[in-house]
Amino acid sequence: MNPLPALVLLPLLGGTVAWLADRSNTANQQPTRNISWRITLMVLTLETVLLLITTFRHHTLPGPWLDHFSIPWIPVMGIAFQLDMDGLSLSLLWLSLILSFPCVLLATRQITTDAGAFHFLFLATLTGIIGTFLATDLFLFFFLWELMLVPMFVLISAWGHEDRHRAAIRFFLFTQGSGLLMLLSILGLVITHYRETGLLTFNYFALANTPLSPFLSMLLMLGFFIAFAVKLPVVPVHVWLPAAHTQAPTAASVLLAGLMLKTGGYGMIRFNLMLFPEAAIRFAPVAMGLGIAGILYGAWLSCAQNDVKRLIAYSSISHMGFVLLGIFTGSNTGLQGAIIQMLAHGLSTGALFIIAGSIQDRLHTRDMAQIGGLWASLPRLSSAGLFFAVASLGMPGLGNFTGEFLVLLATWHVNSIVAALTATGLVLAAIYSLRMVNRIFMAPSRTSPSHAKDFSAGQMTILGALMILLVVLGVHPQPIMTLSMPSPLSAPPLSDGGGDTQ
Amino acid sequence: MITHDLFLPLPLPLLSVGTMLLLTAIAWRRSTTRSLTLALVTLVLSLGGIGYHVGTPHPEGLSLFVQDRWANYTALLILLSSLSILLMSWRDLEQDKTHPTDEYPLLLVLGTLGAISMVFSANYLPFFLGVEILALSLMGLVASRYSRLTEASEASMKYLILSGISSAILLFGIGLAYASTGSLLFSPPPSGNANAIPAIATIMILVGVFFKLSAVPFHMWLPDVMDGAPPPVAAFMAVVSKIAIFSSLVRYFGTGDTPGYLHGILSAVIILTILGGNFLALRQTNLIRLMACSSIAHVGYLLIAFFSPGQLRSEAITLYLAAYAASTLGIFAIICAFALTENSLPNTITDWRGLFYTRPFLATTLSLMILSLAGIPPGIGFFAKFEVAATGVERQQTLLLAALVIGSIIGLYYYLSIVRVLMGTQNTPSLQVKKSQSPELTTLIVVLTLIVVVGGIFPARMLPQVLPSPPLPQNELISIQEPMQPSL
Repeated sequence: MNPLPALVLLPLLGGTVAWLADRSNTANQQPTRNISWRITLMVLTLETVLLLITTFRHHTLPGPWLDHFSIPWIPVMGIAFQLDMDGLSLSLLWLSLILSFPCVLLATRQITTDAGAFHFLFLATLTGIIGTFLATDLFLFFFLWELMLVPMFVLISAWGHEDRHRAAIRFFLFTQGSGLLMLLSILGLVITHYRETGLLTFNYFALANTPLSPFLSMLLMLGFFIAFAVKLPVVPVHVWLPAAHTQAPTAASVLLAGLMLKTGGYGMIRFNLMLFPEAAIRFAPVAMGLGIAGILYGAWLSCAQNDVKRLIAYSSISHMGFVLLGIFTGSNTGLQGAIIQMLAHGLSTGALFIIAGSIQDRLHTRDMAQIGGLWASLPRLSSAGLFFAVASLGMPGLGNFTGEFLVLLATWHVNSIVAALTATGLVLAAIYSLRMVNRIFMAPSRTSPSHAKDFSAGQMTILGALMILLVVLGVHPQPIMTLSMPSPLSAPPLSDGGGDTQ
Repeated sequence: MITHDLFLPLPLPLLSVGTMLLLTAIAWRRSTTRSLTLALVTLVLSLGGIGYHVGTPHPEGLSLFVQDRWANYTALLILLSSLSILLMSWRDLEQDKTHPTDEYPLLLVLGTLGAISMVFSANYLPFFLGVEILALSLMGLVASRYSRLTEASEASMKYLILSGISSAILLFGIGLAYASTGSLLFSPPPSGNANAIPAIATIMILVGVFFKLSAVPFHMWLPDVMDGAPPPVAAFMAVVSKIAIFSSLVRYFGTGDTPGYLHGILSAVIILTILGGNFLALRQTNLIRLMACSSIAHVGYLLIAFFSPGQLRSEAITLYLAAYAASTLGIFAIICAFALTENSLPNTITDWRGLFYTRPFLATTLSLMILSLAGIPPGIGFFAKFEVAATGVERQQTLLLAALVIGSIIGLYYYLSIVRVLMGTQNTPSLQVKKSQSPELTTLIVVLTLIVVVGGIFPARMLPQVLPSPPLPQNELISIQEPMQPSL
């Protein structure tokens, strides 16, 4: 019994159950409001157990791929429901689950209107994200890639803050529109493969061996790159991000920043680098330029924000610039740095969004000019905030530092001027992070939040777990670096490559 | 001679007999319920008659009608759509005691007969007769909305005149084709080098067809007419008449490539249709007008598949027609579910504000249909658009694909705006919400939603059954005769 399909489908099914349970519950007029929340928590626990089984079960496959699952889906078109797992997928899956727990435990309980629908959409988005990390059939990948957008759109536009509708539409238009370019690239690749071999297939491993002319491979790679660049985001196409992250409800912000951005980075590694290695090398200077632009631009704008969530959102753009830079340095060090940076950014920024959301719940504002001196009244929340802010600025000993350092190291080997420019981004990061800490937690108190409740011990435990993970990533990253390297394509999980789609 | 050549696909005589019976029944005594029942029985019987025929086909294929998988498939779609439209109108017709409404089911069956005749025709004559029968019954149907008589009459008049012009162009083209070949066979006249008449004939026929399909720049009438017509009739125009004419278009040009002199015209029309339809839809505030404009855009997407003959074309067309029909009919069924009387029909999109809180079931199904039209999973429209894009990529129609992408992005904006309005908070007085007492509408909506969702997740289940009709020619691209997927 292969656990991979269950990993993908369980959240969706669980979400449906949660929704139905909530509906029948409200129909009965019973006051137990938390039923959908409880079911969601159970689903996540089950999912964790499944993932544990997947991680520790005896892998029989030869080669570096850990697990494989495939059944035909649309045989006429050569489309299969095919999932494969390597170390990269596995580590991102763990990140997804680890982040979902604080999300559900700390953020979604406050949802009172239509809690069932909220949890359903939350879990549906999670299904899309997890599926994206596992799918190795290009059609399935695209299907799941698109599937995660709709629930996220609804989450933002139904439960978001004041300007939610515009933010949601902008988010959707950008991600879906760029997705269409990826669709054309996928089709182009599939049809070129069909012409060369007469075999219509969407299998990732079969398509990787398609002989392509340099021009065509560059064109196809660009289609993929633009879709991933919008999700990551890369600077000229980042405009959806600040609004979406700011307006989304806390849980959706965490999903967006912690996980959905990672699908962009994952896609770049899995598809841009692996399917079109030569085109990626030729494109690397442009991509690295865009990466630096993102680092500096995001950090610079972050320094000028008054809205806490907006500040964190811009800092995400800056951090994702490091990921882009690392991926396209063309070295293993850079790639490892990018992956560590993705994991660490997911943890630290996810936590920061949870803290910003908690502040907003308590003070009903996100404007830093109106928040101040929280340390006195909310010491636990403030100390957690300080920790994650410091992590996000790249303090040595924490995960983000490892990632940024590795990326810088790899960049230095390529071009020392670029590395120097990149390092400027770190200075700016220190400025905006410390400015945020200063204004929110340290400055003289402006409001009187004495009635506000601090984090409870339980909530601190959850955040503490995230802190421990960040420290582990910071001081002992080697096992994760080894684990999370993407498996090479040269050893597909089945010897017959595309033949298993039937 | 005639009896020797007689070959009739069974739905045609069944529908004709049904029409006659309806006429007799109305002449004897008016009863709306009986007429509706008769129409329902006729449609169901014809549905059962698909695939059967009377008489034997002419050995050299010179019969007036032809029956193949393509014709059977589109006839199936048309009859199912007509059935849905009959169910949509049922409640409003039954509840109306003041006006005799027997003509409505009669005209609906007659229009279906016209559409079916177009689908099965292998000769210009039955094709043109079908076009005219459909157009004349639609004129009556459009004008049947007595509560908004001026708008309805205006729409009907507009339809009559424009449909007349297009029929005239079509007929002129048919005449020229007959003049140059001496044959009424339903296929483009072979064009010689010296003689321009066959090319002119083909182009004129194409223009007539584009008028009926409402492709840009021949589209202006559609939003006005659909807006003036009762919603079920608007659905009939958007679905049944378009499927019929599109089916004839595919039959006319056959399975191979279109003649070379048409390539420029076709590309231009397709790009204009996609962009024009979407831009027009962007500015609409009325849901039915918006559906009209978006149906123009969908015709454009369909024409991409029509214009890209390759290995993937037939699947793309089959699936796209089904996806378009199911989603559009679903949206119109939901519109009908809200209108308890003709006057309370929600006109502007903002009337739908907050529907998610007042009628979550209808709002969810409506959103699913809209997302399916926008081409977003899990709706069936996603896979349909995917297939259409695949045909374009296969034939490297770069410009058309660019239009497809731009059009889809614009489409997303207005489709999502509807969903956004549905989710809006309810601070304005919104649609009057009453429990609709019409089980047939609820059933219809549930069935269509199931088709849209299940078809979107398991399109493989739909593909083999409806597999294409016109056997595709050996494509020059597939030079290596490798065995393809065994199931292909």
